[in-house]
Amino acid sequence: MASTDTTDDILKARQAYNETLTAAQDKRRATWFPLLLLALLAALPALQFAGNYNYLLHLVLYTLCYVVMASGWNILGGYAGYISLGHNVFFAVGGYFAGMMFARLGISTIILAPLAGLVAGLLGYMIGLITLRVRGPSFIISSLALVMIVRIGFENWHFVGGAAGVSLPANGLPVQWAKLPYYYAFLVMAAVALWASYRIRHSKFGLGLRAISKDEVKAESAGIDTRFYKVLAFAISAFFVGMAGAVWGEYLTYIRPNIFLVILISVNMVLMCILGGKGTVAGPALGAVLIVAFNEFFVATLGASAINILATGLIMALALMFFPLGIVGTLARHRKLPRFLNWD
Amino acid sequence: MTELLQVTDVVAGYGDGPAILNGASVTVQPGKVHCIIGPNGAGKSTLLKAICGMLRIRQGAVRFKGDSLVGLRPDQVLRRGICFVPQERALFPKMTVRENLRMGGFSLTDTTDLERRIDEIEDRFPILRDRRDQHAGTMSGGQQQTLAMARTMILKPDIVMLDEPSLGLAPKIVQEVFGIMQVMAEAGITILIVEQNALMGLKHADWGVVLDLGRTLFEGPAAEVLADPRIQELYLGGKKVA
Amino acid sequence: MAAIIQIVVLGLALGGVYALMGSGLSLIFGVMRIVNLAHPALIMSGAYVAYWGFRLWGLDPFVMLPVAMVILAATGVLLYKLVFEREAKSARYSEMTVLLTFAVAMVLEGALATAFTNTQRVTSPGYATDAFFIGSVFIPKGQLYAGITSLVIIGLLALFLKFSRFGYAIRATTQNREAAELLGVNVNLVGLVSFAIGVALAGAAGSLVSFVFSFFPSKHWEWIAVLMSLVVLGGMGSILGTVVAAYLLSVVAAFVGFFFGATWSTLTFYLALFVVLLVRPQGLFGEKPELA
Repeated sequence: MASTDTTDDILKARQAYNETLTAAQDKRRATWFPLLLLALLAALPALQFAGNYNYLLHLVLYTLCYVVMASGWNILGGYAGYISLGHNVFFAVGGYFAGMMFARLGISTIILAPLAGLVAGLLGYMIGLITLRVRGPSFIISSLALVMIVRIGFENWHFVGGAAGVSLPANGLPVQWAKLPYYYAFLVMAAVALWASYRIRHSKFGLGLRAISKDEVKAESAGIDTRFYKVLAFAISAFFVGMAGAVWGEYLTYIRPNIFLVILISVNMVLMCILGGKGTVAGPALGAVLIVAFNEFFVATLGASAINILATGLIMALALMFFPLGIVGTLARHRKLPRFLNWD
Repeated sequence: MTELLQVTDVVAGYGDGPAILNGASVTVQPGKVHCIIGPNGAGKSTLLKAICGMLRIRQGAVRFKGDSLVGLRPDQVLRRGICFVPQERALFPKMTVRENLRMGGFSLTDTTDLERRIDEIEDRFPILRDRRDQHAGTMSGGQQQTLAMARTMILKPDIVMLDEPSLGLAPKIVQEVFGIMQVMAEAGITILIVEQNALMGLKHADWGVVLDLGRTLFEGPAAEVLADPRIQELYLGGKKVA
Repeated sequence: MAAIIQIVVLGLALGGVYALMGSGLSLIFGVMRIVNLAHPALIMSGAYVAYWGFRLWGLDPFVMLPVAMVILAATGVLLYKLVFEREAKSARYSEMTVLLTFAVAMVLEGALATAFTNTQRVTSPGYATDAFFIGSVFIPKGQLYAGITSLVIIGLLALFLKFSRFGYAIRATTQNREAAELLGVNVNLVGLVSFAIGVALAGAAGSLVSFVFSFFPSKHWEWIAVLMSLVVLGGMGSILGTVVAAYLLSVVAAFVGFFFGATWSTLTFYLALFVVLLVRPQGLFGEKPELA
């Protein structure tokens, strides 16, 4: 393009522009907000001294569980761009592994959770080696088939109780405090998941994943070991989902195929990320809050699970059509993202 | 001199993306061969796609025989008499050669003489008759290009636009492709061709258009373009441009 | 020996129905590059049309079949116009449309379950529980009729695609959308019509399924992977491939069911899907992978 500027002028202008960008980014990031949120949530159970807030604690715990899962899903689906509709498989694997160890050996699932996550991650690594050979729609289809296969497997595996599952003993704490161990377990896991999501996003690994998401062939020709990156992302995301599953089973006091391997759980993970903003750190957390609140609203007002499915599908369709970047993504694109939501 | 097609200061791009064309202009005279040259990413193919209606024209004018083509769909532009042969994949690989030729006449409202038109094409290019029941996807690259180019003649169009017909072909085959182009030109079809190999393209053309960064830098008789020192330096191998 | 013939016969009888269930899916993928995860839910909708026609007015599912096709074709047009047309220019089209069809499947499931509850249903015309006997081999009448009807419908579709002008346009668009558009095919119209035809085929399949299998709204999830295994094995977008794959897997599943029990016969389809994606992602009849 014809320009009267000298090269020096252009370079100077470019440097100045970059500096304003970094300055703007620093100003928009607010580390205090997630920390404050963490502190508030840690203090929340103190409400039990004032009265019975068991239901509130349950809702927060439930949301935190989904924050862990959606953040985990986001590492593969958001950063690397591989949409999995079968991540509840790892929820189940984590839940069954820890649940069975708990039933047989009496070791608390909260202690077992990292181990259960590793088992799920290892399985994710192996499944990833197979299914990540295809991408796009084929990968999505393979993830659906995986759920079907695993569900048939668990329903017919007598050692883990088949379709009836296994009951787990409840902890001996008074009702008022019974939820607390799980509550704090999920709070810690959610914090770790978000921190890991942040660290991955800012690492060379995360950069590679995002390159894969944009254009895998180019990423590969740029020297990224795409296969290893993808499979590792699959394993890490399975790790977090498996950890959440481990504690979830003990919290519910039973493990059964139809609490882990229902399609709605997979959909929720996907939907939370899409609605909140796939590929961002805060998006999955925001999405989890919204979807849980929304589900509660529907169950409370309409009661029927059929309508819940209908409404979830409708929201998913509308979000995809009108907000494909999600709330965080859309706001960030228009540079209107409030500081407290910029966790990237 | 009357222009058949006049493209003036066109701005266009893909979807919501940035504009690839930023003021491209071309003057197309009847019966001549026009060659568009320029570096990679100059917007050569984009210009052809904008003319034929595959891309929305954001600004500027495209007038064909005095009528505006802006806002028309590809099938409407085709019916006005402009054919576009895209880069590489222009055929239906699992249809036979004959079926591919028949698809070439898809836009005809009167199909009574379609078979006769196809026979004419086969007379001109006997290889297509030899291969008529073979799937197009199983032919060699040169044969496929022959079919893609010959197919346009079924419609007896005013203008045929060719997007790098020589891409990926052996030098000997490239000569054949330019030969086909000459046959088309002799049949009275006006040609607008995009060519990566500027020297080769201009040698076979009457008119040259130089595109860079989405704008027309220069257009004129092919011999003048070839001789122009700027062009020599920038695009014909005098000086390497990144 | 008789047992083996019996298994093959049962497998073939069901194969036709699977072929029809999968062919609409294959057509829509071929033309639009949409992996329609809502297809089984649409089949389910067709099954309900036939069910209520029989239950309320005593109309035979074969009478309700054209009705279901018309109703579903209209649904298809509506879906295409509301949801998919505007996605045509989307940057991540294929991924976007898969998720959208998934959302549509949930909406359909939720709507059906709200309207008709999750009670297990089956249409029960007389022939559904009757059978022909050839020697010691029996052929269930319902499955036989359904299988033959499926083949007739698929045959009509093939004739339409092979010989009609619009069929030419559909095949051309399937093979090379850009070239078809440049030769004067209105690809958007082709997309709309093929989508409507594909969904109408779901309606036809649904009417037949209504007396072959028992069904309830959330059962469509089981069918998704089954149908996907057919189109993936056959080569995405190849209707002939889908038909061959349907017969092949149906017979294999019948054998698995015979030797290991019914639970494992459905597993055949899911495992086949996995193995095909692993070994030959382009399927039996696909020439190159259309995966991205």
